[in-house]
Amino acid sequence: MATRSFALPILPRARSSRPWRIASVLALLAGAWLLSLLVPSLTDQFPAHWNLGLREAVDGFSRWVTSNRITSPIFVYFFDPLSTGIDAFVRLIENALLGAHWAVIIGITAIAGWLLGGWRLSLGCSLGFFLCGAMGLWTQTMQTLALMNVSVLFALLIGIPLGIACALSNRFDRVLRPILDAMQVMPAFVYLIPVVLFFGVARVPAVVATVIYAIPPAVRLTSLGIREVQPAAVEAARAFGSTRWQILRKVQLPLALPAIMAGVNQTIMMALGIVVIAAMVGAGGLGREVYLALQRLQVGRAFEAGLAIVVIAIVLDRLSEALSRIDLTQLPSRAAGRAPSWVAPLVIAGLTALCVIAFQDAFPGEWQLGLARPVDGLVRWTRDNLFFITRPLSDFITLYLLNPFRDLLRDIAPWPVMVVAVAAVGYFVSGWRLALGSAIGMFMLGWLGMWSQSMDTLSQVLVTTAITVVLALPVGILASQSDVVRRVLRPILDFLQTVPTFVFLVPVIMLFNVGRVPGIIASVLYAIPVGIRLTELGIRQVSPEAVEAAKAFGSTRAQLIVKVQLPLAKPAIALSVNQMIMMVLAMVVIAGMVGGAGLGLEAVIGLTRSETGIGISAGLCIVILAMILDRITQAWAARQR
Amino acid sequence: MLICTDIWKIFGPTPEKAHAALAFQVAADKLSYPDHVVAVRGVSFEVKKGETFVVMGLSGSGKSTLVRCLTRLTEPTAGQILIEGQDVRRMNDEALRNLRRHKVSMVFQNFGLLPHRRVLDNVAYGLEVCGVDRRTRNDRAAQMIELVGLKGWESKYPRQLSGGMQQRVGLARALAVNPDILLFDEPFSALDPLIRREMQDELLRLQSTLHKTSVFITHDFPEALKIGDRIAIMKDGQFVQVGTPQELVLRPRDDYVRAFVKDAPRAKVLTAGAIMSRDLRGRAPNGRTVPSHAPLQALLPMLAEHDAPLTVLDGGTPAGVVDRAAVIRALVEEDVARATGA
Ligand SMILES: Nc1ncnc2c1ncn2[C@@H]1O[C@H](COP(=O)(O)OP(=O)(O)O)[C@@H](O)[C@H]1O
Ligand SMILES: [Mg+2]
Repeated sequence: MATRSFALPILPRARSSRPWRIASVLALLAGAWLLSLLVPSLTDQFPAHWNLGLREAVDGFSRWVTSNRITSPIFVYFFDPLSTGIDAFVRLIENALLGAHWAVIIGITAIAGWLLGGWRLSLGCSLGFFLCGAMGLWTQTMQTLALMNVSVLFALLIGIPLGIACALSNRFDRVLRPILDAMQVMPAFVYLIPVVLFFGVARVPAVVATVIYAIPPAVRLTSLGIREVQPAAVEAARAFGSTRWQILRKVQLPLALPAIMAGVNQTIMMALGIVVIAAMVGAGGLGREVYLALQRLQVGRAFEAGLAIVVIAIVLDRLSEALSRIDLTQLPSRAAGRAPSWVAPLVIAGLTALCVIAFQDAFPGEWQLGLARPVDGLVRWTRDNLFFITRPLSDFITLYLLNPFRDLLRDIAPWPVMVVAVAAVGYFVSGWRLALGSAIGMFMLGWLGMWSQSMDTLSQVLVTTAITVVLALPVGILASQSDVVRRVLRPILDFLQTVPTFVFLVPVIMLFNVGRVPGIIASVLYAIPVGIRLTELGIRQVSPEAVEAAKAFGSTRAQLIVKVQLPLAKPAIALSVNQMIMMVLAMVVIAGMVGGAGLGLEAVIGLTRSETGIGISAGLCIVILAMILDRITQAWAARQR
Repeated sequence: MLICTDIWKIFGPTPEKAHAALAFQVAADKLSYPDHVVAVRGVSFEVKKGETFVVMGLSGSGKSTLVRCLTRLTEPTAGQILIEGQDVRRMNDEALRNLRRHKVSMVFQNFGLLPHRRVLDNVAYGLEVCGVDRRTRNDRAAQMIELVGLKGWESKYPRQLSGGMQQRVGLARALAVNPDILLFDEPFSALDPLIRREMQDELLRLQSTLHKTSVFITHDFPEALKIGDRIAIMKDGQFVQVGTPQELVLRPRDDYVRAFVKDAPRAKVLTAGAIMSRDLRGRAPNGRTVPSHAPLQALLPMLAEHDAPLTVLDGGTPAGVVDRAAVIRALVEEDVARATGA
């Protein structure tokens, strides 16, 4: 970099000193600004003729796909049969679930719950399903369940073998890891677009998208579990002449089973996380209910469907978590603790049989709970009575945070200055490599023809993250200090983490109307639990010796926090900031749907109006922004150690 | 039975280059090579059938690496390993697997048990991987479990057992495949002193009937003296001295060995034959005789009883005499060889 040449001639091997580096970066920034004053035609807007033309290429390709769908062998012999197969499979499961008497489904869940965890789990699971039925959503629940089952099954069938391969081969791991990383930062929308292109609109693209979305944890946790098997066990197996396959089957897989089961649990949760998004491309079920209700602003209906999703999520989470807790090395003590008894399952089966005889197949309508109406009333009341809070809040965020910041990034600062500024941040937190990478990323935003949308989105992301951090850190610190706060927070955070992101939007829109603010508030709600949790964890994990020593020297509580716990927890807190930024980025598209403008809006347009080119460009830009911000915050977090 | 010649193990990016430089070229006298760890440096030894060969050295001296090189759990950088005349380093995967399955078994410091298997299935593991059918292997495993005194614990899981019992399982597992050679990598180091002594006695008891050829690694010199027929003292990847316990105690090669020998239980290690005077003239015709391999502690009661010297018999014929003074000198002097001029 040019910035270094100032110091190099004098002291060839010494690193340029800090003032020098700052001075040279400032000089570069000033230079960029000067350039933009001198050549306004070039720097006013990102030059349109530099555009890479990706959009046109993608659109051309998508036209080709549309016109060749029936004739091209790749569709006739690959995508169509695959599509038909998946569709038939989903239908089969769906019909089975819908064909069965509702009591049978609840009974089976209850027995599973009893076998895996005991009567509490059993009761909880059956009540959960019962609630879904009582909200009049039995059919939709079963549809969602069918889609989930198939998607999770495929995700596991693909993910677990990939995870094994990753664990056994470092080379394979090196190849797959960046792909998994990319899959996890990529908003689901981005690959929904090509998936729709290839599979059309219906259940199948929903399954495919869900599978793609849910695979990474299955791969990661399988691989991690196998790699973390005690080396001593593997060595002993080797010493007794086991083949590689024998080691895998008799030692590594059994010992990695808890981790693999945790992967199963994560996979299920991920899959449930995009139920609503999947509905946008034609999956029915609960997701569609939320999506439709959201479009019609029927808060009560959306609330019910959202609640059903949360209930299913909790039931599946607890069931699969109980499954992962079955530790093969602990079996006998469990058996000793609770002798296998068939009384409870028999009782449940008997009750089920009674219900089957007494009630018809459809879930009894007279048990309707009718939550929608009171919720609607509540929301109406809040809207009519709380506007004196919501309006000023919304105005404040828009007028004093969002607008000035967006104007600065998008309109006032010429694009070369932005590029240099971001590169400079990269340079200071890490070095010239990151600076170069960030600069190239920033250029890409322009080359893809999305400069101003990207800057709009960047401003929203930064403002949202700032709000989230400001709220999350104090709460996290508080939770680390007081077990009461922690206990109160826990269910709230649990709830926020399992609610599908769309469900946040409903009340937020009701209160704040459409625009950028509801998107921001939904994103804050989405990102804040992780921020609070990681902050709290970071502080709680500060070595007890250091805390004890500080106490022994008579530190006050405040001194303890400020002088010992916070400094020592800095790396963890920095990491939590990184996570919050990534989660806010994951919400960009959803924010775009409710008037967030920027890249999110472009992505939504791309998906809903089949403007594939725009959608893909916008998606890529989101990924690029995510990568830049991720690398920069990661490097910054690493410096805190 | 087991012959090792000039074994090297170097960890690092280019071990062959490092080996060439350290072993043959100008740097041959150098101890280290940049960016590499020389764990084993040109070690040679031979273990005879039925013999227990102990490798004693401090932590980090390369013992674990050496013993893992023998069956190529760690691939040696250079050297030759012959087991019953077969060159281990030339074996293909299949032959190597068969060696590990049938000929050589290992007992580990941290037990290396499989936590998800019951004791019985752990002991049967070696048989299972060679494809022995369930009934046969379970019978054999049950026998081994009884042999190490764990009858009744077959269907427990390892974590339900104490450390000493876990290592009994490790021992049973190694014996189950009826190997010709047993390798022990500090098998008792993780145990409490009392349990450790109990396990040492257990091993000696088993060895007195089984006579397995063994390589036994330890960092505990008293343990080496107790278990070993011959002992190699290892330091920085090399053998400093190899000999019987008595040879080490009587003639430590340098100060390093002397430091270990200093606190050796001389009364147990030294024998009548080693300290006797060959001058038979002072021999008392009183019929008080001892065999030459008797440890000094066996002589003490007899000498306490009566002042007259004892006649040492070697193969039934008188070979020398020991008197009180000689025994006392041998017990207190650090370097008997120096004192007696032998
Ligand atoms: N896999 C490895 N990679 C690099 N160095 C190693 C490895 N294994 C052992 N070493 C080094 O080799 C030396 C000998 O180790 P080891 O054989 O475990 O000693 P011991 O068993 O006598 O304590 C040590 O310095 C250790 O750090
Ligand atoms: Mg060792």
